[in-house]
Amino acid sequence: MFTQFAFASAESAVNRLLKLDSTAHARLAPLTGKVIAIACTAPAITVYLIPLEDGIQLAQQWHAPVDCRLTAPTTLLLKLLSSADKTSILHHPDVALDGNSALLMALAEILQSLELDWEYEVSRWLGPVPTALLSGHLRSRRDWLVQSAHSLHLDATDYLAEESRALVGRTEADMRFTEIDQLKLDLDRLDARIARLLKRNQKPL
Amino acid sequence: MSNPRQPNSNEPTTHFGFQDVPESQKAEKVAQVFHSVAARYDIMNDVLSGGMHRLWKRFTIELSGVRRGNKVLDIAGGTGDLARKFSSLVGPEGEVVLADINASMLKVGRDRLLDKGVANNISFVQADAEKLPFPDNHFDVVTIAFGLRNVTHKEDALRSMLRVLKPGGRLLVLEFSKPSNPLLSKFYDAYSFKFMPLAGKLITDDADSYRYLAESIRMHPDQDTLKAMMSDAGFERVTFHNMTGGIVALHRGIKP
Repeated sequence: MFTQFAFASAESAVNRLLKLDSTAHARLAPLTGKVIAIACTAPAITVYLIPLEDGIQLAQQWHAPVDCRLTAPTTLLLKLLSSADKTSILHHPDVALDGNSALLMALAEILQSLELDWEYEVSRWLGPVPTALLSGHLRSRRDWLVQSAHSLHLDATDYLAEESRALVGRTEADMRFTEIDQLKLDLDRLDARIARLLKRNQKPL
Repeated sequence: MSNPRQPNSNEPTTHFGFQDVPESQKAEKVAQVFHSVAARYDIMNDVLSGGMHRLWKRFTIELSGVRRGNKVLDIAGGTGDLARKFSSLVGPEGEVVLADINASMLKVGRDRLLDKGVANNISFVQADAEKLPFPDNHFDVVTIAFGLRNVTHKEDALRSMLRVLKPGGRLLVLEFSKPSNPLLSKFYDAYSFKFMPLAGKLITDDADSYRYLAESIRMHPDQDTLKAMMSDAGFERVTFHNMTGGIVALHRGIKP
């Protein structure tokens, strides 16, 4: 019953999030009634996702045919949820995908691209004016954090590459890599020439 | 001329809680109980089970294997908890029938579902579980949640459910049962016979109905007996799952 409670709570949370995006239900409509099983190998747990008109049903077991089954360890499942390049993760040797993979990709795409209107939810509790003040403040804080992080990244790169010389700069590294590539090509050509000469010498005169 | 409502001394009796009553009177007495509690049925379910009834019903839905386009019959559907979920699972091409013998419960269920916008694939039928007014081999899934113990002739009801199911169709019986742990059983007895009538008195001003509820649970067949009854009625692969230490059990059988 504890697992049932956990699933019920998770389902309620997911459906509340979906309600915050006014387009989510419309985008989920083509998947309605399909059964997607996500089997995690470590820890061993399977979650069934059934998109419905009013949200997503989560289940611990589902005694009906499954349209798509994804089997993978937790780390890869988390990567799949957050990564933009899902195809490369699906080709990982620890990942198994059976059935209609387009369903899974469509569901992941919808969940990843949710645009949550959290201001609406907050305004229901605080009212429109405090919500506008709060959201304005939070937006300016977020912009400041993004700018600061970007600036810190640039400064750190500059310091490590140019001042402390602890790392090689990108331009310098690119030049070195080009030289190494050229050297590798030259070596390959030399190898091929030596092999050809050896072959010619072995031929009877 | 004899009065048909007057009990006949030769008439077989059945239990109504801990009382023995003539069979012809049980349905009427059960109806009185549910007329009395219908308006506050949901609140009482939440209070008495501590919200657990939602998890028991959730497990029932998981085991039902209901798919898009299926036809589902929810007998003794009451206020429509299961029917609402089935309605969204079967989609517009499916069909859900919420059946209840009690008009008050059916009305509460219908109003509640309509208020939630559940209307396009659901119908409401006042029907006796012993004589279901549906064609043979019609439904993919039949469920009866917390209703079978109130039925006078349980064997007749199970045969009637078997008749309306399609071959391969599933019957799910969610019902109170016998706790497997003696300690839990003692606590449960104290809870049922002391707290439940008190809560009934405080919330619905009707202690008797909730005393009947506790008594009817004790008179209901235990897990193995109900399993045997389902097998005798003609169901195959009958299994049961205990929940909350056996306080509630979900039985499942397949029509061959």
